[in-house]
Amino acid sequence: MQALRTAATGMAAQQMNVEVISNNIANMNTVAFKKQRAEFQDLLYQTFEASGTQSSDQGTIVPTGVQVGAGVKAGSVYRIGTQGSLTRTDNQYDMAIDGRGYFQVLLPTGETAYTRAGNFAINDQGQLVTQDGYQVQPAITIPGDATQVTVSKSGQVQVQQAGQTAPNTVGVLELATFVNEGGLQALGGNLLKETAASGAPTTGTPGAVGVGTLVQGYTEASNVDPVSEITALIVAQRAYEMNSKVISTADSMLATANQVKA
Amino acid sequence: MDNTLYVGLSRQMVLQRQMDIVANNIANMDTTGFKVESLMEKTDLGTPATTQYIPSPVKFVASNGVARDFGQGALSETGGPLDMAIDGKGFFQVQGPNGPRFTRDGRFTLDTTGKLVTQQGLAVLDEGGSEITVDAEKGPVSVGPDGSLSQGRDRVGKVGVFTFTNAGVLEKDGDNLFKNASNLAPQPSVDAKVRQGMVEASNVKPVIEITNMIQVSRAYEQIAKMMDSQADLSARAVQRLGKVQ
Repeated sequence: MQALRTAATGMAAQQMNVEVISNNIANMNTVAFKKQRAEFQDLLYQTFEASGTQSSDQGTIVPTGVQVGAGVKAGSVYRIGTQGSLTRTDNQYDMAIDGRGYFQVLLPTGETAYTRAGNFAINDQGQLVTQDGYQVQPAITIPGDATQVTVSKSGQVQVQQAGQTAPNTVGVLELATFVNEGGLQALGGNLLKETAASGAPTTGTPGAVGVGTLVQGYTEASNVDPVSEITALIVAQRAYEMNSKVISTADSMLATANQVKA
Repeated sequence: MDNTLYVGLSRQMVLQRQMDIVANNIANMDTTGFKVESLMEKTDLGTPATTQYIPSPVKFVASNGVARDFGQGALSETGGPLDMAIDGKGFFQVQGPNGPRFTRDGRFTLDTTGKLVTQQGLAVLDEGGSEITVDAEKGPVSVGPDGSLSQGRDRVGKVGVFTFTNAGVLEKDGDNLFKNASNLAPQPSVDAKVRQGMVEASNVKPVIEITNMIQVSRAYEQIAKMMDSQADLSARAVQRLGKVQ
């Protein structure tokens, strides 16, 4: 019976749904995490009687056919890229992006990755790096004798050095934007990678047209809404149960058929 | 005598198909824009088994088309800037590899060239049937209730919403798409509203589907019981007739 396989696809899809929801809940407090949604699509339909076929010599046609669907599949898991709220940290190396754009990070492999997690630090050479020690691009080096670091809305990094009155500009941070942000591939560690679906990055200074601005001393919180995630979890669990009910009912129908006396 | 079995069998075949449809409805209770289906039945005047020509009251059951409830599904908020839901009658038109397709699933996105596409990458069409391109650099896209897209003050396109005088001509094509199986031309919708940042949930009502499922499975058992008693009857008839002789 098709119903058994159909219900199995329903259970598999709901299982994936629960996995995505649990990942969202687990990352509720991850800096700049973007929540994900599993999206479903119906599977193929088997047509037993096509609609529109002729039903008599007088040219009358069958108004509706008989089509039976084969279940559901998880079509895509897509990121919802809405802005997370900005959280004050008072750390001078923390930066949040208000609006579109990603920081560029140089991976040890030489590739560039993208992130909105701006909880940066400096390494032993004074270079601005992520929490994993990957260099932020374009490279910014903070002199060892800097007493204060200021990052402007438009990405100008200025340092106040001991014994000097005027601040010194040590570099300008740039942000990368993508036409299709949803097409970026997650690498883990808050990093994303360019793909054929995301398109090539366009770099620009913060505050330019179509690019967000920087806010120093803040980080972007995740955009996960715990209440809606828990609600989604309940719905997914019930849907899973209902699909398993379909399996047991279809099974009992088959058992009934087997017990018919010949 | 065998008619009991044949009539029972025709009913069981319809019930199995009904069960398949209920299973598909339940599997798709979370599928965006999914429309619930049910099986219609008809009396089938097939020739019953008979030894002589007498008008027979025996009739069979056969499936008579799948009815689709195109009623509105609940709108759920996603916050996605290019998520659109249709409030009212109508369908978005997308360009499939084998011709235009219709969908109520409005989770759109941009491809690398800025073209408005579905999650499978099919281009979303405007009222004139052409593709819609948005310049992502020009700021956020806002969607008006009539489907018009604008960035700031500039109008950049309009998502077409189409209706059919008879939605029964649409066949399901999988991937949340419908295919126009007739030569009935779609008409631009006049009263449907496009809601931005929302998607339309499936209109499957789980309680009703579970109730249908119980009904189907019980009916199936009843038919099996009926077949059993028919078998008993035949067995007894053979025994008794044997004794008399």
